This record gives sequence, C-alpha cells and structure tokens, in this order.
Amino acid sequence: MNFASNPLRLTLGLVRQRSWLFVGSCALWALIHVLPVVTGVLTKGVFDSLSGAAPAGASAWTFLAVALALDITRIGVFVAAIRAWATYWVEITLHLRHNILRHLLTAAGSRRLPESPSESVTRFRDDVNDIGEYVENWVDFWGFAAYAVVALTIMAFINPVLTLLACVPLALTLGLTNLLRPHIRTARRASREATSRVTDFLGETFGSVQAVKASGREGSVLARFAGLNEVRRQRALKDTVLTELFRSVTDNMVNVATGVVLLVGAAALRDGSFTVGDFALFVTYLPRLTGIMTFIGLMFVQHKRTGVAYERLGKMMVDAPVESLIEPRDYDLEREQSAYMARGERSEPLKELSVEGLSYSHPGAEEGVQDVSFTVRRGEFVVVTGRVGSGKSTLLRVLLGLLPKTGGTIRWNGAVVDDPASFLVPPRTAYTSQVPRLFSDSLEENILLGGDASQAEVEQALDLAVLTPDVEQLHHGLGTEVGTRGVRLSGGQVQRAAAARMFLTGADLLVFDDLSSALDVETERRLWDGLFADRDATCLVVSHRRAALERADKVIVLDEGRVVASGTLPEVMALSPDLAALFVSDNGSSGTRDAATVA
Amino acid sequence: MTTRAVTTEQGAPAGTTMFSLLRRYLGPQRGMAILMAALLLSAAGLQLVVPQLLRRFIDGALASAGQDRLTTLAVLFLIVAVATQLLNAVATYVAASVGWRATNHLREDLTRHTLDLDMGFHNSRTAGEMIERIDGDVTSLSNFLSQFSVRVFGGLLLLVGILVALWLENPLMGGALTGFVVLEMIVLTLTRRVGVPASNLEREANAKQFGFIEERLQGLDDLRANGAGDYSMHRFRTVMRGVYLDTRRAWMLRSVVWLSSYGLFVIGLAVTVGSSIYLVRRGDMTVGGAYMVFQYLFMLQNPIEQITQQLQELQKAAAGVQRVGELFHTESALPVGGGAELPAGPLAVGFEDVEFHYLDAAPDQLTLRGVSFELAQGKRLGLLGRTGSGKTTLTRLIFRLYDPSAGAVKVGGVDTRDVDLQLLRARIGLVTQDVQLFRGTLRDNLTFFDPSVDDGLIVEVLEELGLGSWFRSQERGLDTELDSGGRNLSAGEAQLIAFARVFLKDPGVVILDEPSSRLDPVTERRLERALERLLHGRTALIIAHRLETVERVDEIMVMERGRVVEAGSREALAADPTSRYARLRRAALSLDLNVGPGAGTRALSAEDAELLEDLA
Repeated sequence: MNFASNPLRLTLGLVRQRSWLFVGSCALWALIHVLPVVTGVLTKGVFDSLSGAAPAGASAWTFLAVALALDITRIGVFVAAIRAWATYWVEITLHLRHNILRHLLTAAGSRRLPESPSESVTRFRDDVNDIGEYVENWVDFWGFAAYAVVALTIMAFINPVLTLLACVPLALTLGLTNLLRPHIRTARRASREATSRVTDFLGETFGSVQAVKASGREGSVLARFAGLNEVRRQRALKDTVLTELFRSVTDNMVNVATGVVLLVGAAALRDGSFTVGDFALFVTYLPRLTGIMTFIGLMFVQHKRTGVAYERLGKMMVDAPVESLIEPRDYDLEREQSAYMARGERSEPLKELSVEGLSYSHPGAEEGVQDVSFTVRRGEFVVVTGRVGSGKSTLLRVLLGLLPKTGGTIRWNGAVVDDPASFLVPPRTAYTSQVPRLFSDSLEENILLGGDASQAEVEQALDLAVLTPDVEQLHHGLGTEVGTRGVRLSGGQVQRAAAARMFLTGADLLVFDDLSSALDVETERRLWDGLFADRDATCLVVSHRRAALERADKVIVLDEGRVVASGTLPEVMALSPDLAALFVSDNGSSGTRDAATVA
Repeated sequence: MTTRAVTTEQGAPAGTTMFSLLRRYLGPQRGMAILMAALLLSAAGLQLVVPQLLRRFIDGALASAGQDRLTTLAVLFLIVAVATQLLNAVATYVAASVGWRATNHLREDLTRHTLDLDMGFHNSRTAGEMIERIDGDVTSLSNFLSQFSVRVFGGLLLLVGILVALWLENPLMGGALTGFVVLEMIVLTLTRRVGVPASNLEREANAKQFGFIEERLQGLDDLRANGAGDYSMHRFRTVMRGVYLDTRRAWMLRSVVWLSSYGLFVIGLAVTVGSSIYLVRRGDMTVGGAYMVFQYLFMLQNPIEQITQQLQELQKAAAGVQRVGELFHTESALPVGGGAELPAGPLAVGFEDVEFHYLDAAPDQLTLRGVSFELAQGKRLGLLGRTGSGKTTLTRLIFRLYDPSAGAVKVGGVDTRDVDLQLLRARIGLVTQDVQLFRGTLRDNLTFFDPSVDDGLIVEVLEELGLGSWFRSQERGLDTELDSGGRNLSAGEAQLIAFARVFLKDPGVVILDEPSSRLDPVTERRLERALERLLHGRTALIIAHRLETVERVDEIMVMERGRVVEAGSREALAADPTSRYARLRRAALSLDLNVGPGAGTRALSAEDAELLEDLA
C-alpha cells in the first residue's frame, strides 16, 4: 500500500466539503451513544434504592422517571441523527461515483478501464461503499470513545479490581475476533464467488438453452450444476461456522466477564462494598464495552480496506491524481436540474487529417498497431481492411484517443493534435464502434445524445442510416424505449441507430468500424448509396466487404498491426495477396476476373 | 405471451404447498432435523436458567449466604451461559446444513425440469428471469429453512419459557409482560410492512444508479468519441437526485421499524421496573427477583424481533414456494418420444406436408406451409430465402425443438416423434452464428461437461479442424479457461470450437445456420477446410445469407413465406437462367461489381433489387 492513498488524508479532504453536516452527524450520534452511560447509573440507582443501599431521599421512582425521560429524548435525537447521516451518506457516496464517472467520460486523455465494465461497476458500488462505511466509522467513533472512557471511569470508581478483571475477557475478545476476522472474510468471499458461479452457470445454460438442448447433453450439464451447487454448499457452511464462532466468542466473553464479576464480587456483595446496583451497572456496561472493542477492531480493518478502495478507484482514473476523486461538487441534489444545453462549438473545417508513425502496443491480449501512416482529405472515402485480428479496430481507437498511442503524430489541417481524445470529437469527428452500445432510454434520446437537432435533421439522419422503415414499424416510433443496452432492437437496428447517432453530430469526418457486419446486402447497399449521394462526406471506415472496398478512394491493408499495402484498390490488390484472396473467396472463381475488370 | 407449456394438476414431481415441498426435500434428513430441535430445546431451557441463577446469587449475597454457595452459583452461571451459546451455534450450523442440502436438491430438480421444457417456454423468458426463478426463489426458501426453524422455533420456545417463568414468579408481572409481548408483536408486524416498500425503494434506486453506470461504462468509447460526456453527466445528475431522495426516504421509513421497537422497549421497561418497584416495596418480591425480571425483559427483545422478522420472511418464502410449484407444474408440450431406433451413419431427412405455426401466433399464421422434401443420406441441401421465410424454423423441427402442427418430419426414415428426444438430438449437430460458450475449461466447452469424452479424441478433433496450432499455443491445453463472452477467442476460433463440438458428437445430420456471417472472407476461407471435414460423410442442411456459402451443396431449396418456391439440384438450377437461384447469383454479382465510385452508379434493375431482398 502506498502513502498516496492514505485513507485518512483523503477522507479528511472528503468530509471537509459540507463539513457542517459531518460535524452535525458526529455530534448527534455521539449523544445517542453516550446517553446509555446515564441509563446505567440510573439502573444502579433503582436497584440500590430497592436493596436499601442508596443514600436517603433517592427514590426508585425518580430514577425510573429520569431514565424514561432520557430514553424518550434519545428517540427524538435518533430521528434527527438518522436524517443527517442518511443525507450525508448518500451525498458522499454519490459524489464519489459522480467524480469517477465524470473523469472517465469527460477528462482529457485515453480511458481504458483496467477491468471489464461489470467488474468496474462492482468497484463503483463496493469500493465507494467502503469509503462511506469508513466515514460512518468516524461518525460513530466519538460517541463510542466517550462512552468507553466514561463507563470505565465510573466502573473504576466503584471497584478498580473488578473493572480490571472484567476487562481481561474483553481484551481477549478483541484478540480472538481479530484472529477470526480475516478467515471470515475469506470464507465469505469464497461463498459469494461460489454463488456467482452457480448463478452464472444458470444464466449461461438458459441463455443458450437451444444449444444445450441441441447438444443432447443435458445430463452432463446438470451434473456440472450439481457439482457447483455442492461447492457452494460447503463454502456457505464454512462461512456459517466461522460467523457463529465469531458470535459465540463475542457473546461468551460478555458472559465470562459477568461470571468473573460474580465470582470475585461475591465477597464484596456480602459485605456491602459492592451493591446490587453496582452489579447491575457492570452488567449493563459490559456488553456495550465489548461491542465498542469489536467496533475499534473493525475500524482498523475498515481503515485498511478504505486505503485499498481509494487505490483501486485511483487505478480506474488511470492518469489523474487520486485527489480528483474528492473534487468539490458543483451541483445541488436538493434542487431540480435545469435542462441540458448542448455547447455549440465551432471548429476549423477538415481539410486534411494526417497520421504519421502511429503506434500502440499493450502487454494484454489486445492486438497492437505499429508505425501506421496515412492521410484522409476532405471528401475522401478511406477503407481500412485486413483479416480478423490485424489491428483495424485498434487503429481507429488509437487514432480517436480511445486507446493511448505509444508513438506517432496526428495532425488536423497540419496542426498537431495533442489530445485526440478530447479533440477528435464532434463537430470534427464522430464514431460508430464495431459493437455500438445504446442506453436504456427512448430511441430518440439515444440518437440525439443531448444534441439539439431539428425534426428535419433527425429525419435525414434516420433516412441516411436506413432506419426510417424500422422506426415506422415500432409501436412508439422514436419514443420507443430500447431497453437495457438496446436489447429490444435487433443487432442491425442497433448498428443503424448508432449510425444515425453519428450522422446527427454533423461531424466533418465519420469514422466507422465495420458498420455492415450486422446488415444484410440490401440494407448495406442503401446505406452506401445514401452516403455517397452526399458528396461532402469524409469517411474513414473499417470493412472487409467488397461493396465498401470498391468505393474507396484509398485502401489501407493491415496485417499484424502494420500497413502492408496502401493505395487505390487495384494498387493494393497487386501488393497484397490477402486482399486478392478475399476477392477469390468472396465470389467464387469468377470474382478475380470480374474485380480486375472493374479496376 | 402464451407459451406451449401447459399447466396440469398431476404428474409434477412436487406439489405446490409448503408442506409437500418440506416433506419431499427435508424428509431424507429427518435425523438431522430432530437433532436440531433437540439442540434448540436444550438451548432455550438453559437460557431460561441464567436469570434464575442471578436471582439466587443476588438474594444469597444480600442475605449473607455462605461464600461456597455464591461461588457455586457463579460457576454454574458461567457453565450455563457458555453452553447456551455453543448449543445455539451448533443448531444454527445443523439448520444451515439441512437447508443447503434440501434446497440444492430442489435447485437441481427444478433445473432438470425446466431444461426439459419446450422452446415456447424458454423463448418467452430471459436467462436472468430463469436465474431468479431457480436460484432466487429457492434461496428465499433456503434462508427460510435454515433461519426460520432456528429463529422462530428457538425464539418461541424461549418466549414461552420466559412468560411461564414470569407467571410463576408473580401473576401480575406475568400478565403485564404477556400483554406487552402481544402488543410488541402486533406493532412490529405492522411497522415492518412499512419497511418492505422502503427497502424496495432503495433497491430500485440503486439498480437504476448502477444500471446507468454500467451502460455508460459499456458504451464509454461511443460516448467519448461522439462528444456525449457532458450530456451523460447531466443525465447522471438527474439519476443521482432520484437516488438521493429515494434512499433518504427509504432510510427514514425503515427507521420507523427500529424506532417503534425501541419505543416499545421503553414502555416494557416502564412496566417491568415500575411493577418491580411496587412489588419489592410491598414485600412480594425480592431484589434478586426484580433483577431476574429485569434480565428477562432484555431476553425477550431478541425472540420478538426474530419472530416478527421471520414472519416477513415466511411471506417471501411462501411466494417462492408458489412460484417453484408453478414451475414444476409447467409441462413440456413435447412428449418424450417413442422407442424407435435410428440407423447408424448419415441420416436421410424428409418432410411430408409439414405445416407449423408458433403457439404465440394465430393458427392461420403458418410459419411453414405444406413443406415436403426428401434429402437422401449424405447429401447437402442449401436453404435460401429472406429473413422470416421459415428457413430456421424448418431446421428446428428436425432436431425437435418443436413438433409440426400437421404432417411429419422424418430422420433416418423414422418419424421424429417416435424416437427418444435425447437420442434424436444426440445424432444431429447444429452450428449457428452465435457460438455460446460457458465459463469453464476448453474441455468442458467442447464436451458440454461430459467427463466421459476421451482427451485424446478431443485433441484429434482440434487438429483435424485446423485448431491444432492454436491449441498448442495454449499453455494449459484443454484446461484453458474460457469465459462466457468468449472474449479470449477470435470469431474464427469460436466458430471452430462450435465445429469441434459437433464433430465430437459424430452426428448423422449437420445443420449449419449461416455459421460464417460474422467472419471476414479470409478467416472464412480458412474455415472451409474444417467445414469440409465436418460435413464429410454426413447429411447437411445449410442456411445461407450469402450465396458463396452454398456453392458446395448438392441441392438448393428457395423458401418464401413458409413455402418452398424452388427446389432442385444446384447444378441444374444454376444452368437454368430463369431459375430464382440463377437470377440471385447474377444479381449478387452485379451489386458487388458494378456499383462503385470508379464505375459510376448504375442502378440495379427493379427485378434484381427485389431478388436481392429475397436473398437478404
């Protein structure tokens, strides 16, 4: 663990914002935690009065009345304390998530998630909650500490020897639970993992139920399921055993401490130096003191976990300092937001985009690109092609700054682009990825993405993307909810919706990655026709479809991340046996001849 | 959506009632259940003794009893208290063990039953829904089995024991506290009802929040490259506000449960301590007795809270049991099939006047109309036609994902309904464009977890299909872990794995549903050899969106709106310039070759365009 993510320093920075709410929460909870000290004293009063050990004039009824009044006060404080803490908890956890998401979506530079999106969501949830719980620890800390100090002082005043003896089992609790805790955590994690193996397996089985049925191997699939179930049962039981052991230790230590007080205090009780009220007070304080011991132990663990949480969240922010996690907020959750205003940005129209020696390599499984150079001029249609895994998609993503380039220069109209990620966006460029994503919103929201386009512009974009007939068939037209990740649309519709989204940005350069892979022949033809009717369109396209290749002003052939041929189609066909092969396979033996004729 | 699955009253492996489920799944563990009850009974008994010991101790000390007697009581207290804890812990463990065993059985039975249901059932349900039905519902039952017994049974024993002890001590005290317990039970049950919608509110708010984040992370590239970052953050702030208000509201609502239980405790305290003071002053109770009652009051809280909470769980579990029962009572519309045998080797496929409509469609909306053909063993048939023409449906009838509404489907000369379903499917191989992978090893993915398949055979098949060099580059060989999205495989490798699965089955018929549409032509060409190996010596049906895919077939069948509109040998159809197949080939060529920026835009003839739509 490094000191850059010292949880105390960062958390202090976090609670400094809206500090009055934090301090208020601390004060209210301190009151709630401390009040029971008084209740203990009052309990002592009642029993001393009953057994005749109390000073004259102190009536049991008075003690009872005061105790009840205190408890009722405590209920009132609770309501305020819960509201203050609920507000603060939601605010800080949301704010941390807000800052991470904002960084990922809008900060300069490339964003490559260190883990899969679903694992990253777990970070968003669990790591942020860890930080929230750590803040909660600090809110509780003051009251608990005060309770422990006051309670131990009162006990020591009554009988220092008994107090010391009763504290021995409590200290033992702390030691034992600290020993157990890591095992419990491991067991719980293992049990959770076994559970997700079971649910994942069910998901996979029923997600591909046709394949399972067609395989005729339901028996072995079920046997596998039973195996996973058994692992889950064993791990869950181990978790149960350890949790129960933990509970037994804490509960039993209170019993042991009470027993010690009984054993050692018997003589004092008989001679009246230790009263029944004193005994009641001890017994009231002991469980709570054990609880506080456990709390302190947990807080140490939470401190460490929070350090790890900050570190992991920092990793997700890649190049930003971890402090940007706790940047102050610039919004107010109490008030409704005003409508979104798209920032109209004007830019110098594209004349020429040039790329020189662009390289990217990553130690992971992903393919890289090496020393790629090319130029796209206004109005040109440039196709990047090559076999699967040759680096085509990577090239586009590195160019757009979605992946960090490891070398090379990008120039826009001759000027060097420092941060392609924030420069190569609308109105300069727009992009459709190979597997475009839609969001659970209406189709219209998905296509506009906050842009302010006129009805006519929307219709034109839909036409261009050959989506108009589909929209007409949808029940609610453009207002149709597309479902999570667009599941209610077909793969081709998602791709064309993403194309419409790209067209609507009105960007100078359209970059698309294999737009046609989910389109049938006819739809693809209409799309190209529409696009070429608009002669001003400048496109950089990844494709292996000949329909695209034959319209290209320039073809770039990649192999293993390098340009192996570049030029017009006939030029590259002469240079690249791969591409020639593509034409042979694309149309039987006659293809080569026919393609050559066209060329 | 209606499904083919029907609900009947008999034949289900378990009834819908909680009782019958318990008997079926807990029955085998009767011994353990009795052990658990005994443990709980002893724990409750011992727990009752603790305050009694304290009373004797206090009264003894005040009456200056002998030191020995006090020491004995203190030691007894220690032993009893520790033993109670241990008994409770062991009972919890036993209950959890019983619960897991029983519900794992239930999960397995449910999965088996559900897997056997017909596709009409599965098509109307997502995988997520099935996870919820099989694991979610059963888990609520499992919590119930392992927790309810311990908490409610143990809690009730303790509760009754305490009240009896109090009645014995003093009827006034007993009566007052019995009234208090009843009041607390009622109030807590009522307030907990407020808690449920509050928890749902919070869960929904969180689901919305994390759903939003996950979608944005999935679409990070799309959003960033299209400059939609600021807009997304604006949307997120709206989501945040919703989460903020809902979560806080949920917390406040939930605190009602908590506050009312605390408030009730205060009332209990007033009643207990008040009457104790009164009774001690009158001389009807000792100070030790007052202390014992005070202890009992604290001991009452736990069972009351557990019981009211578990009663809520009971509702959840009852709903779960009901849904489990419904699932068990859903029967497959496909009978298991008869005992006819299929001949060895390649199998002929025949359709005789087959009509078919999906059950969620009107009976007159036929997906297949009067389809008849005969494909001799070892021959290859290419199926052409636009999306929705019935090609895929036709192939589904062959491996009996559905039965025809009229007519007959024959495989190897036998009606598919006369063959055992599993045996039939074992002889038919299916490759679709979606290769579905499981999280697991390469071996598991190839064999569908069947451990009896020989490793040598698997490696041989991989070599045969041209995956040899890829396989040798995998450090862990057949133990290489694949993930369910297949992210560590290229599209071509995934397709070859699908081929290998079919190859391992050694089927008599292979159905290819446009397997290569995701691949680039170069990769596709590499697959050709593997495909040739796969189809060798087998009957094959190949659905194609691209004409080149069917260049190697013997026969062609063109479908339109569920009918066969053209059928014949490929060579004959290609040679006949008026055939649809020949026209399709011409149209495809003209599209690809003559429409390009260099050649000028020559519009397709209307007829050709229409043909292409047929193809698409």
